[in-house]
Amino acid sequence: MEILLSALVSGLLLGLVLALVALGLTIIFGVMDIVNFAHGEFLMVGMYTGLLTAQGLGIDPLLTLPVAGAVGFLLGIVCYFGFIKFLLRGPMVAQLLGTFGLMLFLRNLALLIFGSEDRALHHGLLVGKSFDIGMGVIVSATKLAAAGLSVAAFVAVWLFMNRTRIGKALTATALNRSAARYMGIPTERMNALAWGAGGASVTIAGALIVNFWSVNPFIGLLFTMIAFAIVALGGFGSVPGAFFAGLVVGLIMEIPGFWDFFMFTFNADWMAKVPMTSFKYMWVYLAYFVIMVVRPRGLFGWKH
Amino acid sequence: METLKSALDFSDFPRLDLVVAGSLAILFLIFPVFPHSSFAMATMIQFLMFSLYGMGWNTIGGYGGQVDLGKAQYVGIGAYTTTVMLVRWDIPFWFSMPVGVCFAVLWSFVLGYPLFRLKGHYFAIATIATSLVLKDLFEVWDFVGAARGLEISPIKFPPPDFLRLIFKEDVYYYDVILGFFFVGILYMNWFRKSRLGFQLRAIKDNEEVARSLGINVHWAKIKTYAIATAFVSVVGSFHACYIKNIEPEDTMSLDISILIALMAMLGGAGSLWGPIIGAGILIPLKSYLKEWLGATAGLIGIDLILYALIIMVISAFEPRGIWGIVQKVRRRRQ
Amino acid sequence: MALLELERVTKNFGGLMANHEISFAVGKGELLGLIGPNGAGKTTLFNCISGAYPVTSGRIFFDGEDITALKAHEVARRGLARTFQVYVASGDLTVIENVMVGCFMHTRSRSRARAQAGEVLKDLGIHDLSTALLNELPVASQKRVSMATAIATQPRLLLLDEVAAGLNPGEIEEIMGSIRHVHEELGMTVMLIEHVMELVMKISHRVIVLDYGQKIAEGAPEAITRDPAVIKAYLGERYAREHGAV
Repeated sequence: MEILLSALVSGLLLGLVLALVALGLTIIFGVMDIVNFAHGEFLMVGMYTGLLTAQGLGIDPLLTLPVAGAVGFLLGIVCYFGFIKFLLRGPMVAQLLGTFGLMLFLRNLALLIFGSEDRALHHGLLVGKSFDIGMGVIVSATKLAAAGLSVAAFVAVWLFMNRTRIGKALTATALNRSAARYMGIPTERMNALAWGAGGASVTIAGALIVNFWSVNPFIGLLFTMIAFAIVALGGFGSVPGAFFAGLVVGLIMEIPGFWDFFMFTFNADWMAKVPMTSFKYMWVYLAYFVIMVVRPRGLFGWKH
Repeated sequence: METLKSALDFSDFPRLDLVVAGSLAILFLIFPVFPHSSFAMATMIQFLMFSLYGMGWNTIGGYGGQVDLGKAQYVGIGAYTTTVMLVRWDIPFWFSMPVGVCFAVLWSFVLGYPLFRLKGHYFAIATIATSLVLKDLFEVWDFVGAARGLEISPIKFPPPDFLRLIFKEDVYYYDVILGFFFVGILYMNWFRKSRLGFQLRAIKDNEEVARSLGINVHWAKIKTYAIATAFVSVVGSFHACYIKNIEPEDTMSLDISILIALMAMLGGAGSLWGPIIGAGILIPLKSYLKEWLGATAGLIGIDLILYALIIMVISAFEPRGIWGIVQKVRRRRQ
Repeated sequence: MALLELERVTKNFGGLMANHEISFAVGKGELLGLIGPNGAGKTTLFNCISGAYPVTSGRIFFDGEDITALKAHEVARRGLARTFQVYVASGDLTVIENVMVGCFMHTRSRSRARAQAGEVLKDLGIHDLSTALLNELPVASQKRVSMATAIATQPRLLLLDEVAAGLNPGEIEEIMGSIRHVHEELGMTVMLIEHVMELVMKISHRVIVLDYGQKIAEGAPEAITRDPAVIKAYLGERYAREHGAV
């Protein structure tokens, strides 16, 4: 029973953080119908930023979040004005390959600068600490904090999109680009803002994740696929969709944990022979594929 | 008969193209006679292989406009079929290669049916996902050596072995892949003028219009996907015999899928010469950059950074690739 | 016997009723006009007939066969071709290549397709455009090419969707000639959606009027122009009342 509960809790906590990872992708997609293949690389930038700032300044990793956010915002804006703007004139194929190029660029730049080895945080207020939340379920403090901050970030973004003038303008642009332009909303600046906000949210997620996940230059693709799966499930462009879909995908990634539970419960030896944990993240890829084929609009599709 | 005639008929190209293509063909044929380094030879073989990969991708990706970023899984299927059959049952290349094609094509039908319900971005991402799933499976499958991969031992199969395609000198491999290369060009020349070729271009233009002209869009895409797959699988089988040591990481990784797509995109997707031009630029660039920069200064990744910049510039400023620029200049001159 | 027969065809988009219980028949060799104000559901009806949209209810028969559930390409292969109002092309294909795609419905041979395509282009008087790219052409020519491509599939019934919209009087005259040619020389049954009244009233044998998704009138062109319901639909209630009173 503890195994089941642990898997459940751990899946949900991870899901909350993953939802934050996907948030930026869904904002960008919602506003301008462009899929950012470099999304996971933005996350990697956030992870390195968190790690290096914490180590360089000797501060707690959780204090690096504003730095990571600022870096992500800048990165998003620079990418938009320096590159994405030009892609928008071309066909869909060009957009696809363009952001793919961006992904390769960031990934290999990181490889050049940081080398290929894994790096992890060893010191910090919460790093390595964990506590029992009852029923024998042990939760690591960093995951709990990350999940909590992720929820806070979601609430903040939701308030921003629905309560502030500029956020409403962003939503309007997402719903109907040309109508928004006729209303006098500067859509060009809205695009840039979407990239800035998207970049900031994902780098913050990165700085959170680096508390319990080691970073290397190749980590991006995994998170890109996770984010795609979440956004596909939640509906491309939907913010609440990303939140709930994040929880679902978090649970999907815990499948090896549930597997263990059933193995012990039913004493099934054949189950032990299946190398569940070595399937790594196959479930996420599979989930994306199945979701897209079965329900292309996702659970909360709102635009099409 | 008409098929063969169509495959051999290049008359709709300007004479300049034919002169350039002809002289290059002759150059490729006599290349082994000239003194060359083994490095240059290896680069040439890579170039021919990736031209073929690119030609295959070009059918569905170029003419059909469906951006497929999961071709590496079929490289893997071809390579693994050949290696497993050789290592376990001593079945030579010329028999295992067609079997590999059958497996790959079968798998492509299984995947293609649901895949082509998706469009655009969604399709592209899904192709990546399928390829990564297969790679993950191969990495834990003991029968094919799991993550360690499989090795074709040159001691067990003493070279030169024409049936099993085991050689010590690269020049034999060069001859074989050059043969495939010429067959590939002829096939593509036929394909672009065939009914399916025309239908695909119509689909790329506008699916709704294509349907109204009696084209079964879904089926046409699946068929073409299978053709692309067959190309890739053949070269995958060759790759296994040439490299002699395959593992999931270097036959089925995403990087391979990207490279395959990139050949045609850079050279000009949807044109006969595009993939060859792309491979002719990218492969030597990759090999020599790696040789000069990567190895000497310890600058790993710099070749891929350059690749990335090329992709970015091309996609932002000339999505039709180099051949697109050539054609634009030509149309302006007229 | 009727070539095309619609039986209470209804199409809903969510709550919006685009077509409501429309029934009519098109006889072999007929030239039928379909008119109606903007948003009356004319193009939706074409989409239903050609299989691009599934109908919500009702049945469609083509040459006696029930084609209601068929997909667009299956309908096309049975000899029902259509043109499109807005033609978005990426510009990969030249004009003759475009028309060849239509020809490929009946042949596998490229040379035969090419010869046939040339013939169709000559028939419509646009042979000189053969090597132009579609997206470089003016709208008038694009519409002719779209028509040529549809004709190249050798249909028995040709649906033309606003082929004359946005053309100047000279061009309208030309396209009218093309339609007549297709109808008389090639023997195709033609059904056309048109806003240009001088065209549709001049060449149609019979006209059907749609308004708010419903068929409000059907008859000979002269009768249609005097029909109070039609005048009301086009010019508004007040106009109809005032002029009816005069």
